[in-house]
Amino acid sequence: MKTENPVIEIQNLVRRYGKHDAVDGLSLTVQPGRCYGFFGRNGAGKTTTIKCLLNLLRPDSGSVRVFGLDPRKDEVAIKSRIAYVPDVVAFYPWMTVADTLEYYASFRTNWNRDIEADLLKRFQLDAAKKTTSLSKGQRTQLALIGAICPEPELLVLDEPTSGLDPIVRREFIETVIGAYQSGDPGKRTVFVSTHLISEFEGLIDEFTIVENGKNLLTMEADAARDRFKKIRARLPQETKLNLSAALSVKQSGRDVEILANGNSEQLLAELKAHKPEELKIEALTLEEIFVASDVLKKATT
Amino acid sequence: MLLQIDFKSGTPVYLQLVDQIRHAAASGGLRTGEPLPSIRPLAEELRVNRNTVAKAYAELESQGVIETIPGKGCFLKAVGSPLTKSARNDLVVQEIDRAIVAAHHLQIGDADLISLVKKRLEAFEKKHKATND
Repeated sequence: MKTENPVIEIQNLVRRYGKHDAVDGLSLTVQPGRCYGFFGRNGAGKTTTIKCLLNLLRPDSGSVRVFGLDPRKDEVAIKSRIAYVPDVVAFYPWMTVADTLEYYASFRTNWNRDIEADLLKRFQLDAAKKTTSLSKGQRTQLALIGAICPEPELLVLDEPTSGLDPIVRREFIETVIGAYQSGDPGKRTVFVSTHLISEFEGLIDEFTIVENGKNLLTMEADAARDRFKKIRARLPQETKLNLSAALSVKQSGRDVEILANGNSEQLLAELKAHKPEELKIEALTLEEIFVASDVLKKATT
Repeated sequence: MLLQIDFKSGTPVYLQLVDQIRHAAASGGLRTGEPLPSIRPLAEELRVNRNTVAKAYAELESQGVIETIPGKGCFLKAVGSPLTKSARNDLVVQEIDRAIVAAHHLQIGDADLISLVKKRLEAFEKKHKATND
């Protein structure tokens, strides 16, 4: 059997703007059928990386492969199999919603009319409306319809839900799960860059945290929640603790909060030696892991 | 049956679904022959990946808790595990060990633990009766 190509394979990608290294030796691999989260602070290099995938920017060095193909050489072959929703969407102002979708469909070999009709109804978008009269939320919904109807094998989302109200964000994610993932699971890969991690938490199988253009951490979501734990304890009296094995220790009077990196059992045992009045352990959510990435950096270097 | 995901529990999401469905089956929240929610609406409602729900259902099927009837969906199977008695015992022992470990960490004595187990058995019994009435 032929082994399947990864959908995205990035190796040592470097892209500079002048002297500034926006992406500086980033590597990651996305297997088919996964929903891959791409997290990083503003300016970490997320959008630059995505633009290299789409041949909107050319790498200075390193390699980028999408479906095993080079975006610089096989741009059309790649683009016919992917769809992209950027953070700011733009449409031709003279077109209506229906015109815009018709225009998109004209570039595609496949366009699912049933999904189009379903989603227009679900979002209550008036097909006769001019694109200029749409709200920000409606513009994103239109872009999402345009991205899902061709049933692409790879859906690239760059900060898709920033600036939207919570209900529109929720619908957006439900649509990605419902309408997009309804096809053959091996041919439905999502690559999403976002700050609103908690909203995508249930969707994400695997993620990379990028910082200063470098890969800081790549993990499976379930494994990460298993590895990073927050332990809270209330001690009977103020005690000076020496918990060098913890990622971080916060102490305020008798209350202690520590972060464990795969060693929560050991840390729990150390805390228990102090006979705590209260002891709680919980997993970090992906968002908390991302927020803790400053501390993580110390742990990984 | 209502399901809920807690990302802070540290248990993989698909296993949380498996546990909750098994719990519903054991407490009468889901009865033999009753259909489980279909994968797509459940995934949308919980806002989790469809693969996660599919994985949970596959796990439940391999444990003999549910069965898939093609074109109709997934249904709760009659109690009757395909596993041998000793294999089933081993599975329960693992769960009991987990509870014993938790009790130890929370400083709950052996006698208290046993009386808690009895109370829970009664509680499940009651729930079962209530749903069958």
